[in-house]
Amino acid sequence: MGWFDGLLQPIMVAVAWIMVQFHSLLTSIGMDPDGGTAWTLSIVGLVIVIRILLIPLFFKQIKASRGMQLLQPEMQKIQKKYKGKTDPASREAMSRETMELYRKHGTNPFASCLPILLQSPIFFALFRVLNSLKPLSEGTYPRGDHIGPMTADLAASAESATIFGAPLSGTFMQANGDIHIQIVTIALIVAMSATTFFTQRQLTRKNMPPAALEGPMAQQQKVLLYVLPLIFAFSGVNFPIGVLIYWTTTNLWSMGQQFYTIRRMPAPGSEAERLMLERRARRGKAVPVVEAPSTVVDEKPRGQRQQPKRKDRQKPAGTQRPVGAGTGTGAASAKGATGSGASATADAPIQDAPVQDAPVEDGSLSDGPTKPSSSAKAKKPAQGGKKPRPKN
Amino acid sequence: MTTLGRAARFALRLPGMALLGLLWLYQHLVSPLTPPTCRYYPSCSQYAVIAIRRHGALRGTWLAGRRLLRCHPWTPGGVDDVPPARSPRRLDVAHSAH
Repeated sequence: MGWFDGLLQPIMVAVAWIMVQFHSLLTSIGMDPDGGTAWTLSIVGLVIVIRILLIPLFFKQIKASRGMQLLQPEMQKIQKKYKGKTDPASREAMSRETMELYRKHGTNPFASCLPILLQSPIFFALFRVLNSLKPLSEGTYPRGDHIGPMTADLAASAESATIFGAPLSGTFMQANGDIHIQIVTIALIVAMSATTFFTQRQLTRKNMPPAALEGPMAQQQKVLLYVLPLIFAFSGVNFPIGVLIYWTTTNLWSMGQQFYTIRRMPAPGSEAERLMLERRARRGKAVPVVEAPSTVVDEKPRGQRQQPKRKDRQKPAGTQRPVGAGTGTGAASAKGATGSGASATADAPIQDAPVQDAPVEDGSLSDGPTKPSSSAKAKKPAQGGKKPRPKN
Repeated sequence: MTTLGRAARFALRLPGMALLGLLWLYQHLVSPLTPPTCRYYPSCSQYAVIAIRRHGALRGTWLAGRRLLRCHPWTPGGVDDVPPARSPRRLDVAHSAH
């Protein structure tokens, strides 16, 4: 473990420093310096500091998912193109095009890997700090007599601090029959599994469009959800209680953050979005125009293709056009037959008041300059009609 | 001699196989716990798998590490493929348009 500690040394010092700062803050407000509460809360404080540092990234992500709404029409075009194709090659091509679309618009709903990777050394460092408490307090720590501000005295205090009778550096495997350690470890593993399980289930149940819930990946994820407690149980028994506290607190924070995200910025086409629209409708707020869920793109099986019509020859049936135009920039409705667009919208899960309201404002907008823009309108269906065949 | 050669080749492939095993564990046990994260296609872990298969443990790890450094919050993301294998250099140039 020597070389590993050497690599982690700077992070271990930082972790120890934050913990010691929190500890002295907590003792200064009257907590018992050698008590388990102060040391436990120091670990919680460590989580809070790290997650607060990451909040700007969280908000950046939320902003990006707002930007996602703007490229919803193009997104739907891609989804339509690969509708019903489940072979790996099409799936891959679809992911490629989607990612390319994000890049083109400079908005990306994903968080990126590096920040997550940077967090794991902190976790390992905490693990090492907690495991080093005992050698530190006994003066047998091989890399000196302190880790940053964590001196032998403080280490001894942390080492002897107990929460519900269990020391923070105790692990289930080395409990030696200490019933307190065993009970606290098991309780924390259960809490860890429960928070992860709940977070994950909330994500899949509420914040994914139905299309994403099919397929082998989703199936695997579902299985894993139930295998998870076992994995946690097997790894958790080797972790000191302090690490388990860190892990559980992080999970709780993620859960809250995700709850906020799902409530405020649900994924298009998901259950959470439907709920949000319902809430908004109840409050009487106007619904943004580009809310059409991604699943509405399915089309009736085409027999004969409907020929594009010149604007002035179109039947003034009225009801068809505004609904099609309701999807916004018209990329989705530009697909040849306006009729299919209308029927697709009728399939939408949100067929309640807000959607029917939206087109009205739009209709007045697009109906106004009918004559001047007729040439542009007449071109669009012709392009849209050609598209689906040659590509793919 | 051939068995020795085979053993040597196996020994050379061993680190790559170990890394691929770790990646398999990550992709099947850890990754499903987190929401989709990567801003690129293929994802960082898949990139690492392809890179190690294509370029071996050493250069594959180097490429994957560089990719991870690229996958930060200020990148627009997009499609980012593993560079083609080095040896048949002339052949690789031809089929870039697919």
